[in-house]
Amino acid sequence: MRIITNNLRLFWQGTLLSYIALFVWLRPTTYIASKVLMPLAQILFFSFLGSYASGGTNVDFYVIGNAIQIVAVSGIFGVTLSIGGDRWNGTLPYLFGTPANRMMLFFGRAFMHIFDGALGVVIALGWGALLFGLDFSQTDLFALGITILVTTISTCGLGLMMGCLSLITANVMFVNNTVYFLLLIFSGANIVLETFPNWMQIISQMLPLTRGIASARLLISGSSLAEVTPLVLGELGIGIIYGWLGFYLFKWVENQAKRKGTLDLV
Amino acid sequence: MNTISVKNLKRIYKTTTGVIRRKTKEVEAVKDISFEISKGELFGLLGPNGAGKTTTTKVLTTLLIPNAGEVKINGLDIVKDANEIRKQIGFIFGGERGLYWRLSGIDNLRYFASLYHIEPEVSKKRIPYLLDLVGLKGRGDERVEGYSRGMKQRLHVARTLLHDPDILFLDEPTIGLDPVGAREFREVIRDLQAEKKTILLTTHYMFEADSLSDRVAVIDDGIIVALDTPSALKKHVRDLSVVEIETFGIAEIVVNKIRALPFVDAVSTREQDQRQVLLVQTERGAEAVPDLMKSLEGQRVGRVTVREPTLEDAYVRLVGGKS
Amino acid sequence: MSIKNLFRYWRTVITVAEITLRHQWNDSFILFAVLIQPMVIAILALFMLRGTGDNYAMFVIVGSGLTGLWSSLLFISGNSINGERWQGTLEALVAAPLPFDVIIFGKNLANVVQSLLSMTASYLLAALFFGYSLEMTLPLLFFSSVLLSIFAFISFGLIIAPLFIMYRGIQQWQNAMEFPVYILAGFLFPIALLPGWTTPISYILPPYWAARALHETSTGAGDLSTIIFAWGMMLLFSFIALFVASKLFKLMLYKARVDASLNTE
Repeated sequence: MRIITNNLRLFWQGTLLSYIALFVWLRPTTYIASKVLMPLAQILFFSFLGSYASGGTNVDFYVIGNAIQIVAVSGIFGVTLSIGGDRWNGTLPYLFGTPANRMMLFFGRAFMHIFDGALGVVIALGWGALLFGLDFSQTDLFALGITILVTTISTCGLGLMMGCLSLITANVMFVNNTVYFLLLIFSGANIVLETFPNWMQIISQMLPLTRGIASARLLISGSSLAEVTPLVLGELGIGIIYGWLGFYLFKWVENQAKRKGTLDLV
Repeated sequence: MNTISVKNLKRIYKTTTGVIRRKTKEVEAVKDISFEISKGELFGLLGPNGAGKTTTTKVLTTLLIPNAGEVKINGLDIVKDANEIRKQIGFIFGGERGLYWRLSGIDNLRYFASLYHIEPEVSKKRIPYLLDLVGLKGRGDERVEGYSRGMKQRLHVARTLLHDPDILFLDEPTIGLDPVGAREFREVIRDLQAEKKTILLTTHYMFEADSLSDRVAVIDDGIIVALDTPSALKKHVRDLSVVEIETFGIAEIVVNKIRALPFVDAVSTREQDQRQVLLVQTERGAEAVPDLMKSLEGQRVGRVTVREPTLEDAYVRLVGGKS
Repeated sequence: MSIKNLFRYWRTVITVAEITLRHQWNDSFILFAVLIQPMVIAILALFMLRGTGDNYAMFVIVGSGLTGLWSSLLFISGNSINGERWQGTLEALVAAPLPFDVIIFGKNLANVVQSLLSMTASYLLAALFFGYSLEMTLPLLFFSSVLLSIFAFISFGLIIAPLFIMYRGIQQWQNAMEFPVYILAGFLFPIALLPGWTTPISYILPPYWAARALHETSTGAGDLSTIIFAWGMMLLFSFIALFVASKLFKLMLYKARVDASLNTE
């Protein structure tokens, strides 16, 4: 029992500390700029582009796709910075020197970003309703909530893996930005996946977000939770796979660092 | 006419602290400073960290606007005629910053040459000449990131001499240099002196001010506490001797006890490895040693020596034995 | 900045541009801003705009290239001043006896010229990867438009730099400033899609007129008179931007000397 409480405390502290460390220097205006206005601008751009492309017939498709896509801001940038932060601060050697449960330490860092990301999507969908008349009257809001949460979790899973990569690569922001933008293509937020060549469709299916976006579109147009369950479960599965890969990468990095004595390098 | 004239200069900094409740604090970095420097003179500005040396230099190099007072360089006003003044002055701030590390030394110089509107034909000849002058011949093509501190500092000198200014501001130019590098650098300063440049040198190394300056102003807490030639400043302490006492782990309270002794003029400490050397200024010279030892009872004491005062001791006395 | 200064200091501008390019040569962020992001946008738009007309590929190439131009101006030029502050070189730049905006003009020139790579890369991507046969409708007028656009973007960028230096808080809005210009300047879709009240904002943005001239000359959507009209408006608003920027720079330099914000130490 004590082990569980200890681990829970560790998990919670990792969560809280990493989140505070990330946002303590930010002011409310910064939060608004990065969480409200930047997503709005991106949704507007792609929705207008989509509206131009489809002759204004299918704006909902783009609004929903880009609103869900917003989780990648927290899931990729937020989580990566939480993990990479230890590298910048030089706290990594101390972390690796503790007997703390690595899994709690690791997943704790993503936890807060799940809620942060989900909140971002809700705000983004709100913009959709306000500016593009997105209609939720046919929507099972509970199911949509689950879809949003699951999509955030799976994107954070990818973020955890990239965060570990950030411990061993030099150009963290370059990799993050690139992945974020590649997700814009492959997630199907802006393109009907069937128009992709086969190999691109396969990549799409292997990434988080793809199923979440598809599920959200179905739900908003009136589908039931039962109809989207396979999509939601698939999305969750993908997230768990990435998170797990990340966790093993994290342990591998620790191992390598200890073996090669490159703790201050990583 | 004086080349540089500073009258009642005052400069305040406002700093804000706190994220939610913002507080504004005002710090008077320079309270009231006046001095004049004549053509070809090397004027030393000496003082402890935070005394206002750098602030004064930054006002004089057109980088800060004074809150009050009047500063003129070659008769030009520092606020109104900043751009005209910039053509006539050069400056270096100590430390490694202020250069483009990813560029070669030559590229750094080419860049600043173009900013000083020097024709490419002219800078093509001037850059090699300057590299030679500061002892960087043959190293100009290397990236600055590979330079030692001393080399970076000398590149700064070359940079600031590009437009051949008559007036130079050197703000702690030898800071962070190893003894050899610092000595070489002082040679460069002597060369500039020989070229009749007007130089304002700020430093907190006494011997540097002593050996280079024509006149020295000692600045402390935003005001000038003494201004004279180095030898005249030394006269302030002519009738004193300095007792140096090696101690191990002495407490501040004991130092204060010694400072309070009636025959002691000033006390300062100097850290040396694990030891602290007490520098006690007194008129009684060697005779004071027994009394001093009595006050140090129960302390571990090493070597004790008595010597003549230096400019440093004059300085210690002027700034109240803080350093 | 006055045009007089531009002629007086043209050599300085060229040297500053050259040194800037060399200094940031191996910065990976530039690789992202100039190549990766515009390419991703180009790929997206090529898929999305299929079937919006015969010349849509050309439209996408020019449009996505323009996004690269704006993003690198916003991020690279915007951040470079703070970079100078951190490096401790800003003081030496300010203390140089020439108008500070001449230096920033040179830096922006470097970044804008470098960003023309985005357009070239998008062109190669569309031609080689997607197999489009791409023809420039009015090549000569297009290249004239490119030259004018370089000037327009530099001038517009000159307004950003002093604002970023004076009000460091603005920089947190940087991310939020990227897409609005894509939208308002009509890089990848006509501004007719936008609500009417935004049109005047588009009109005062030099990038809008640049996008118009470049699109019209590359896809053949405009005739000579509309092209020349776009050129004229581009120049007009560029000069206005230069004028505003010169006032902002004066204000900024004075403010920095009062606030002691030229250095981080």
